[in-house]
Amino acid sequence: MSETKNVLEIRDVAVHFGGRGGLLGQSGPVVKAVNGVDLDIPRGATVALVGESGCGKSTLSNTIVGLQAPASGSVRISGEEVVGADKRKLNDIRRKVQMIFQDPALSLDPRSTVGATIAEPLIVRGIAKGKELKARVATLLQQVGLRPEHADRYPHQFSGGQRQRVVIARALALEPDLVICDEPVSALDVSVRAQILNLLVALQKRTGVSYLFVSHDLGVVRHICDRVVVMYLGRFVEMADRDTFFSNPKHPYTKALMSAVPEADPVVQRSKERLILGGELPSPANIPAGCAFHTRCPLATEICSKERPELTPRPDGARVACHHA
Amino acid sequence: MNAAANPLLAVDRLTIDIGGAKVVDDVSFTVAPGKVMALVGESGCGKSLTSYAMLGLLPSAARRTGGRIMLGNTDLAALSERQFRKARGKDISIIFQEPSASLDPLTTAGEQIAGAYRVHHDVSKTEAFEKARQMLVDVGIPDPDRRLHQYPFELSGGMCQRIMISIALINGPRLLVADEPTTALDVTIQAQILDLMKKLVAERGTAIVLITHDMGVVADIADEVAVMYAGRIAEIAPVHALFRAPKHPYTALLLASVPKLDDAPKADLATIEGMVPSPSEFGIGCRFADRCPLATDKCRFEQPSLIDCGDGHRSACWHIDRMAEIREVAA
Repeated sequence: MSETKNVLEIRDVAVHFGGRGGLLGQSGPVVKAVNGVDLDIPRGATVALVGESGCGKSTLSNTIVGLQAPASGSVRISGEEVVGADKRKLNDIRRKVQMIFQDPALSLDPRSTVGATIAEPLIVRGIAKGKELKARVATLLQQVGLRPEHADRYPHQFSGGQRQRVVIARALALEPDLVICDEPVSALDVSVRAQILNLLVALQKRTGVSYLFVSHDLGVVRHICDRVVVMYLGRFVEMADRDTFFSNPKHPYTKALMSAVPEADPVVQRSKERLILGGELPSPANIPAGCAFHTRCPLATEICSKERPELTPRPDGARVACHHA
Repeated sequence: MNAAANPLLAVDRLTIDIGGAKVVDDVSFTVAPGKVMALVGESGCGKSLTSYAMLGLLPSAARRTGGRIMLGNTDLAALSERQFRKARGKDISIIFQEPSASLDPLTTAGEQIAGAYRVHHDVSKTEAFEKARQMLVDVGIPDPDRRLHQYPFELSGGMCQRIMISIALINGPRLLVADEPTTALDVTIQAQILDLMKKLVAERGTAIVLITHDMGVVADIADEVAVMYAGRIAEIAPVHALFRAPKHPYTALLLASVPKLDDAPKADLATIEGMVPSPSEFGIGCRFADRCPLATDKCRFEQPSLIDCGDGHRSACWHIDRMAEIREVAA
């Protein structure tokens, strides 16, 4: 394992879709799903990526694991460049980054025992076989709070929370440096959610793995993350350490998100300052000029529709892209 | 704050059976006009079946084996399918979680709303369309004339949910059942829809039975909350009392498992050990006993009924006096 400080370094990454070779030779609109994004994730840290459907967070996740080629920019995982890497190299790098998705039922092969599912990456990489393989699978199951004898069961014999544990065990099998967790608890019942969050925290303490935690649940984000990044229409609009982020949010979109998430406390919820956004997320195929948020922003002035604000550092360490924040 | 004074809806000892198991067991609650009753619980707790019974939409394997569902003076549970057709959409409506799956993809928004109106009113298409247009204005859809002629795929998720709400409310029902109405939506859109629902309740006096698992949504909009576990009501209370001082261990643990503002980051969250029992595993005692830190032999062998704790707060637990211990476990 290389000892670079950051497990992930993204520089000026842009991902575009469409634009040429459309049906009947017409050229469709270019969808700029991700546009000029920089991000570092230090070893052992958890960074949250927050934003609404269509903001580009899944495209960015896919680009990080090499499932989507960026139009430009650089993605380094533990110091190794993903963009433009040949197949063999990419295969090597991919071992260091794994993904966990929202719905564990859709992430597991219903016809494989969970033991076979967890063993697969180890077999494919030629890391273990026979008795040793069995022992590794047993250890992985125990690490995620399941029992070794569960290896012989099929996904349908497990509850949703247990299935997510299996998915986590599979993700950890290759001892990755970075795990991308895409809404890992959104599909789970509330009491199970807490179990999985506790597990993710415990595993990080034990193995030093880093997480990129994609979520819209700011309560969960506040609980589990060290740093928060907010994305809107393909760009980062605010990034800050957790405490700074939650005690002093700056971008009007961040504030709107915070006021929109209902607190599980009627006294707090009913007395809090509400900032309800009008309208909806514009299409990424037709991003507004200037600041992409100006069409919904309560603070917008003339400059906002003309000039795009850059992410600029603030005295408390936060970086914000807003003319008025 | 007691809804019992003059309830619009009174569910009385409702019991629903699937294959011999009581998947909804002895469920009673009332809702007053203009109030929001939240049915809260995890997958399989019976909250959806309870609400489907109100609309005569129970799956064929499920059978109501006892109890009444009184809407005013009518027992909904006793209606024939034919009678239900007259009530559904008119006196009582429902909106579901996934608006895009509930709308007809081949019919424009306007036709769907106007169609719902014409089922119960003998008016011309033009009149019904005018009514639909007005409804779109009420639910806050900008540019209603254009939207009326669009198909669901041309509309966003939030917009589709507003169309669903328009269809549900066009006939001015007294009761709206909302089954996870914002779960599939983004948070900023969720906030818009919850505000819309609050506004409609206030303006029209429509009562809402809200089914959800999101304690944040409950805290935002509910007047009263019934927490269900394994087919039974564990606790029922006015919303502030429930969050301030839950009187059932399940509720207390459920609330403690949600990350809070003042929690230390990455500290262990309270969890509930074990799993919800499947209907075939329901024992004779309290259905939560196997997972409950307070459980005693009494809990395993005797089923607790709801006990009145005053001020409309009722809990089905033998150990209400030991709730302080739960708060320690949860802390």
